[in-house]
Amino acid sequence: MTTDTRPVRPRRTTRQPSRLVTNLVLIVGAAATALPFFWMIFSALKPRSEAVAYPPRLLPAEPTLEFVRYLFTTLDFGRYLVNTLVVVAIGFVGLLLMAMAGYAFAKFQFRGRGLLFALVLSTMMIPVQVTMIPTYLILARIGLTNTLVGIALPTLVSAFSIFLFRQFMTTIPDEVLEAARIDGAGEIRIFLSLVLPMSGPILAVQTVLTFIAGWNSFLWPLVIAGDQSRYTLSVGLALLNQQVATNPSLQMAGAAVMVVPILVVFVIFQRYIVQGFTLSGLK
Amino acid sequence: MTVLAPPRLQAPPVTRPSRRHRGGWVPYAFVAPAMVVLVAFAVLPILVAGVVSTTDMDISGLADPSSVSFVGLENYRRLVADPQFWNALRTTGAFTVVGVPVIVVASLAVALLLHRSGGRLASTLRAFYFLPAITAIVAVALVWGYLYNSQFGLLNYLLSLVGLGPVPWLSDPTWARFSVGLVAVWRATGLNIIIFLAALQGIPHEYDEAAQLDGATELQRTRRITVPLLRFAIFFVTVTTVISWLQFFDEPYVLTQGGPNDATTSISLYIYEQGFRYNQFGFASAGSLVLFVIIAVVTVVQLRLRGSDDH
Amino acid sequence: MRRLLGTTTAALSSAALVLTMAACTGGDTAEAVEDGGSATLKVWVMGDAGPAFTDLTAAFTEDTGIKLQVDAIPWENVNDKLTTAVASGDGPDVVQIGLSLLPTFADAGVLADLTDVLAEHPALAPSNFPDAVAPENLSTDGVALSVPWVSDTRVLFYRSDILAEAGHDAAPTTWDDMRSVAKELAQRGEGQFGYYIPLWDNTLPVQYTWQAGGDVVDADGAVDFRSPEFAAAADHWLGFFEDGSAPTATDWDQTQGFVSGATPMVVSGPYLAKAIRDAAPELDGSWSVTTLPADQTGTSLFAGSNLGIWKTSKHPDEAAQLLDFLAQPDNQIAWYDAVGELPTSSAALTELAGRGDEQLSVYVDQLDDARTVPMVPGWDLVANEMASALTAIATTGADKQSTLDAFYAKADEIQSNY
Repeated sequence: MTTDTRPVRPRRTTRQPSRLVTNLVLIVGAAATALPFFWMIFSALKPRSEAVAYPPRLLPAEPTLEFVRYLFTTLDFGRYLVNTLVVVAIGFVGLLLMAMAGYAFAKFQFRGRGLLFALVLSTMMIPVQVTMIPTYLILARIGLTNTLVGIALPTLVSAFSIFLFRQFMTTIPDEVLEAARIDGAGEIRIFLSLVLPMSGPILAVQTVLTFIAGWNSFLWPLVIAGDQSRYTLSVGLALLNQQVATNPSLQMAGAAVMVVPILVVFVIFQRYIVQGFTLSGLK
Repeated sequence: MTVLAPPRLQAPPVTRPSRRHRGGWVPYAFVAPAMVVLVAFAVLPILVAGVVSTTDMDISGLADPSSVSFVGLENYRRLVADPQFWNALRTTGAFTVVGVPVIVVASLAVALLLHRSGGRLASTLRAFYFLPAITAIVAVALVWGYLYNSQFGLLNYLLSLVGLGPVPWLSDPTWARFSVGLVAVWRATGLNIIIFLAALQGIPHEYDEAAQLDGATELQRTRRITVPLLRFAIFFVTVTTVISWLQFFDEPYVLTQGGPNDATTSISLYIYEQGFRYNQFGFASAGSLVLFVIIAVVTVVQLRLRGSDDH
Repeated sequence: MRRLLGTTTAALSSAALVLTMAACTGGDTAEAVEDGGSATLKVWVMGDAGPAFTDLTAAFTEDTGIKLQVDAIPWENVNDKLTTAVASGDGPDVVQIGLSLLPTFADAGVLADLTDVLAEHPALAPSNFPDAVAPENLSTDGVALSVPWVSDTRVLFYRSDILAEAGHDAAPTTWDDMRSVAKELAQRGEGQFGYYIPLWDNTLPVQYTWQAGGDVVDADGAVDFRSPEFAAAADHWLGFFEDGSAPTATDWDQTQGFVSGATPMVVSGPYLAKAIRDAAPELDGSWSVTTLPADQTGTSLFAGSNLGIWKTSKHPDEAAQLLDFLAQPDNQIAWYDAVGELPTSSAALTELAGRGDEQLSVYVDQLDDARTVPMVPGWDLVANEMASALTAIATTGADKQSTLDAFYAKADEIQSNY
């Protein structure tokens, strides 16, 4: 919405007369795409009486932070926030594992590589619903139910991400790695001090993807968390949903609390994201 | 086109043995941790599901495994005999057939426009287009639920301003399919736009400039040069989008619970209901295995088609 | 690139920090459950009632030294949660069970037999509660696996102001009245209806069957819809859609529809009263509740929740003490005052009825003529099939007889799978 007011500077209009049209189309499209998002943010600030007022109004007439405060004072959203951060943090361990796997698939020749990689890719096709109970039983067996590690573990490694890491890391010149080996560097050192630093853009992409996945995960936190002190924001938000006596403003406030931090992460990383995909040979 | 393109623009070849390092145990050590997690939480569960699908496992069976009995292919027979299963399959197929082109074309179009626009405006707008991709599904359900609501929703209000009648967004079977699909498209485009943008940035300017000198119009250049050069990205996006439509679950689950009259019950949702609502785990496992096979076949066919396309 | 690396490193190192924090706090919590000489009971409650439940039971902990750890479970995900708990055998000590889920819990065999507990705790004796929730009515073999906790029944909510405007001083009391008043109110204009029937509610047609003098289970306890009474119930239900008295929108919001007056009558539970007061306090005095319009009877649904003890609980005696505490009329009344959920204790209900609150008296009256849904395995599945069959007829113009026949066949098949 804010960009509507931003002046559109028609640069090089003589060479590209339709550029203004392009920008207009883009702005309208962006506004339409982002409308539900802004609706959510503004609804979070509406008092109860305005929430379902008809005709609907985008902007709150009397904005209030009452519900955001309620989430953190009366309800336990502070605790859920910490849990969610922990789940995201554990997700970053998965990031490292996936980078390692992607590196091996990209830069090593070993027996069974094709088969293992096909196995990795095939897991993309497994419907989540089918794995739920077996996964739960496995976690119960190793004693990880009701732990935040258990919540993060089932989605720790994703085939999509391993694939992206592999795609990107094939572009790292072999000569660099060979040179390091000749200098006597160990494989772990090569990975940590050479490969990872060269993989900045793909790490940025994966950071955002990992953050999104961990932040928004709902099913596992709900099922694995044996008690409420392990709930994440998504589950806390679902708790607000009653059959009849729902409070729309409170729900919207909860939803907004969930989305804003992730938006901040994206804005920080977004310029590297495109770069990450570019260099990963996805073209 | 293939001849023109420099090697980097191609998908990285699957094998390049001559240049790869043989590291003895090292590659296994690097792959092992990720593989252990994948095997434990993806491969093993699907094997378990395979076994469970031949039993009458229900909730009492979960509590007391000795009460579970082997039923052979009975669950599969029941599945094939269930009209709701076929309905869910048809629904999923329809969503896939319509949804995949819509998502691919929409993301590509926005990416092309953003790329063309360039500059600060484009990078700001990029964030706007990415917003849906980062919104949690629970939040998505809330917001769209209010937008679509037939009594106080924003969309019907906006329509009424221009004199259009109220639309039964989620109440009419056909409209409900549209509405649920729209939210899915809305959510899916963000990441795909980014992928296309990245691919576009990887195309050297020389091609475009050369064609420009030859007097090709912009539309011609987009169609004849840019889009063909994006082949791998388009393929990649198509394959992942097909898989995600075949696993379509979140949007109907939170917006319509599969209704009205099962119009939006996808195959994943059907499986989930049979398993977790009605506790027929053996039956649900049979359904999920069938879905897994369908996805695998569709994906392999796509890979094959692409393979033959290259030669 | 350097800046990016900085950012990534920052992200990773803060991740590590959070992890360390979690490791510490995690350890503390785990110890807290074990420490002290007395037991800590794990209690699962549904929805967002967690904080209120903790308040209510503060006195219990004070008196007995038994600590409680209360976890709220989202209503919509009770089944996911239950299933995984059953699978691992690792559940809470005390669990709140919606009556409609009771057969599933019973079937899963995760609830402890409370026969001895009932004998030892006079407060839990079935005679203290309405017959509808007596053990013999909650299971086929009459074994007590749970004790009543909160109740909920369906009554007719109506906008007295809108009815008065149309010349009706009182709410409809019979099926025929209901049909004609609803039809009349629907003629107030575009987008106006007389009555809201939630299409997802698979209990209303069952209540209509009871009201027509029938039942949906036969003498052997098997689900049976092939009765003239169910046919009458279906006709009554469908009639409201045929003459446009009820909206066919599946996402209709009953609170908003009632507040705006678009659907000035609706059959719902006490929670709707709370929702209306929250959403539109200014409507106070313009609406009321009354017992259900009757055909042969005015029987309503007895819904609500019971409490059970998980079979593998290590503290069954302490859990029984908690059940006893929660069955005390005073505590049930305190709970009603806190969250608006009705008691199940007959003594508590009588006391509430004597408060002079008209609405409250209506609920208590209706509870006298209310039944639970059949406690047979697979009921939920059959009931949903019924709701979708009726919905299809009402909203898509599907042929009535063939749709119902298909539903009867489906119901038989589902039964045979259980």
